[in-house]
Amino acid sequence: MLFRYYFLRRLILIIPLLLGLSLLTFFIARVLPGDPVGLAAGPQATQEIKEALRREFGLDQPLPVQYVTYVLDLFRGDWGQSLYSRRDVSADIAVYFPATLELTITAIVFATLLGVPAGMISAIYRSQLPDHITRVLALFFVSFPAFWLAMIFQLIFGLELNWFPIGRRLNALATPPEAITGMYTLDSLLRLDFGTFALSLQHLILPALVLSFGSLASITRITRASMLEALDKDSVRMERALGIPYRVIVTKYVLRSALIATVTIISLEFGWLMAGAVLVETIFDWPGMGLYAVESSLRLDFQPIMGITIVYGIVFSLINILADFIVGVLDPRIRYG
Amino acid sequence: MTFSRSRLFIFSLLICFLGSFTVLAQDDENVLLYGGNQDIDNIDPAVGENYSINAALVSLYDPLFILRGEEIEPLLVDTWEVSDDATVWTFNLKQNATFHDGSPVNAAAVVYSFNRLLEIQGPPVYRWAGIADLTSAQATDEFTVQFTLLQPFAPFIGTLTQLYIVNPAIVEANRGEDFGQTYLKEQDAGSGPFTVGRWEIGNLYEFVAVPEYWGGWSSENHPDRVLWIIRRDSASQVNSLLANETHIADTIDLRDAERINGTEGYHVESNAGLFVNTLKFNTQGEYTSDLNVRMAVSYAMNYEALPQVLDIPVELMPGPTPLGMAGSVADLEVPTFDLDRAREYLAQSPWPEGGFALDYVYVSGLTFEEVAGLVLLEGLAELNITLNMTPMLWPDMVASCSAPESGPDIVNIYTQPAYLDMDAHLFNQYHSTQWGSYNSCGFYSNEQVDTLLSDARVTGDQAARLEMYAEAQRLIAADQPAIWTYSQNAVLGFNDCIGGYVFRPLESLSVLFRDLSMDNCPTA
Repeated sequence: MLFRYYFLRRLILIIPLLLGLSLLTFFIARVLPGDPVGLAAGPQATQEIKEALRREFGLDQPLPVQYVTYVLDLFRGDWGQSLYSRRDVSADIAVYFPATLELTITAIVFATLLGVPAGMISAIYRSQLPDHITRVLALFFVSFPAFWLAMIFQLIFGLELNWFPIGRRLNALATPPEAITGMYTLDSLLRLDFGTFALSLQHLILPALVLSFGSLASITRITRASMLEALDKDSVRMERALGIPYRVIVTKYVLRSALIATVTIISLEFGWLMAGAVLVETIFDWPGMGLYAVESSLRLDFQPIMGITIVYGIVFSLINILADFIVGVLDPRIRYG
Repeated sequence: MTFSRSRLFIFSLLICFLGSFTVLAQDDENVLLYGGNQDIDNIDPAVGENYSINAALVSLYDPLFILRGEEIEPLLVDTWEVSDDATVWTFNLKQNATFHDGSPVNAAAVVYSFNRLLEIQGPPVYRWAGIADLTSAQATDEFTVQFTLLQPFAPFIGTLTQLYIVNPAIVEANRGEDFGQTYLKEQDAGSGPFTVGRWEIGNLYEFVAVPEYWGGWSSENHPDRVLWIIRRDSASQVNSLLANETHIADTIDLRDAERINGTEGYHVESNAGLFVNTLKFNTQGEYTSDLNVRMAVSYAMNYEALPQVLDIPVELMPGPTPLGMAGSVADLEVPTFDLDRAREYLAQSPWPEGGFALDYVYVSGLTFEEVAGLVLLEGLAELNITLNMTPMLWPDMVASCSAPESGPDIVNIYTQPAYLDMDAHLFNQYHSTQWGSYNSCGFYSNEQVDTLLSDARVTGDQAARLEMYAEAQRLIAADQPAIWTYSQNAVLGFNDCIGGYVFRPLESLSVLFRDLSMDNCPTA
């Protein structure tokens, strides 16, 4: 029961957290110097045109009134409009968020599937050749900037070898699957459209792989460190003395306790990947939240900035709760944290 | 690790194999794949305006006049006349023009479209601010529209290239509470050679040709469909062009241009447009209000070095206006890089030994703006003048240009005329009534220039106007309110299968899809 209440409490706590986050972002965005209205109205707009735009977007109202109006509209499902494109923020987020989510989930799956075994091998073969190779590769991936790797991969696997497309979510001539989740791979599978699934997966692999490299290195190193710590425990020596096969010790006992740190780092990495996907999104022309966030910030486009902040706030909170849940499952002693 | 990678490799090959089975396009249709650098945010003609939006609007809608090359040609207009004082403009429309639903493009539609622009007050409307109001446009018969302007305005025809005619019936049917803005964001209500197809924000935009377009097609092999594919990064622009994922790429780096020209089947078009860079002095500033200081700083700029150090193709400016513009004066005496002359001017200023600092403001992250500042910094160091390199976010820079007190000493600004007329280049930058917008961030004021620019606006005789503009340019050059650096070339990469492209200096990046032809274009 306590377990359930704990997560319910965490979920409810998201609401004041988002209110605080929105308040902070709202006032920071507004007190920054700059004239987004002048920018949106165009280089030669007259004062009358700028004033009309300010009135239309309620920017002539006092800041507290603007904030209260924003929050009330938010509860009504109105996320506001972009000052620049005059498109609804909710409509834009509905397009951009699934794209980033699809990319990030795939990247974190790649990073986990490759990073955890790599960390295990590295720990098991401590100070031997596999360990050295893994550590050098991890250092390589964590050191090279994602945008550079993206261009190199694009050049080699896209242009020279022609294995993968240069970028984008789908071939321009192909029609995307009718949206259910907005994630092309999932939607095409749900609609049993395997041709589109194959195409969208083909487009997804390269950017997701490049995006995963930084996290892959972190996950490998954390898994290795946790595994080494766990392998050094007296209990492991005892288990070995009892004649339990080493493979069973590693997979059943050591990995389970080592994964607690790994799960934590995966949840953190997931958040960072989502927020930091912008470079990969730019080079692979992946229409995601990162690009939307950067473009909106550069234009000081208030409503998209607010919408993006709230979405990221929700995502980070949910990921943290999910990570706590998984850690609780892995180690019942820390369930009620 | 090795096992995982090999599995991944095999899986990838499988995916490639599967993907190759998908049938994508009919063989007999011309699908133009266009790699565009940016989104097409909003295609409401009363709201949207930038190069990508303009490329879309001129495909979906017909304006009264259209820009072709360096000329303004009548499109919906058959004949026109103007009163001697350039106040009353009468246009007789072509009677065979039809909207996509078959209804005629008539005078009522023109009046409706113009008034809608004025009522919405979106970015395109500044062209007519103080020039026209809701009573200005009148339909005198079904195919004749008369504009009676609030004041004489000789360059009026130039502004009409941005007046796209909407179908009133469609807009009224979808009027809502915002005069149809919600509807027209992603739908068209025009008479142009294309209609809206797939419209995927942030991703791809499709234009579908109208086979029986009222204006006819310039080629039998015109594009049946155009796909505007967003390619933000210049590296992926060139890669996708060479991989035949696109047929035109609109953002090409200098280095990539050589690579494209060196590859058989592809070429680059690089042309000097009217996208002009200037370093504006705050002519009301503490130091830069002094003409001798401005001259000294201008002579300390190494102009010839700019094309070498900038990573973009440029043409040096001969003075306040680029040479491609009708009325531009070529023989103005403007500063060159000459440190001796610079010292002479500085010696005549209140600070003969230098010893002061100037702020140089540029857009944060724009390397070529920073590099131009660094070139100037090097020259000014010889004069004992410090240049403070001050990067700013674009909205902050716009805000700083609102008043002389907050205006930077020197600011790097790009300008582009809003219509093909000298008025559009000079009035908003050098007429003192324009202070407050970032185009006039120099806060320049000269009564004679004001008079000439105002008079040229209201003079119907084109030759007389050009004389006025020539005189204005001489006066402006003598005052040196800015360092005129370069006009930036538009560099587009083409697959050789594309024909019919004509460079338009004013809309240097906006390609007229309606004039293109395709000859067996390959598709990846």
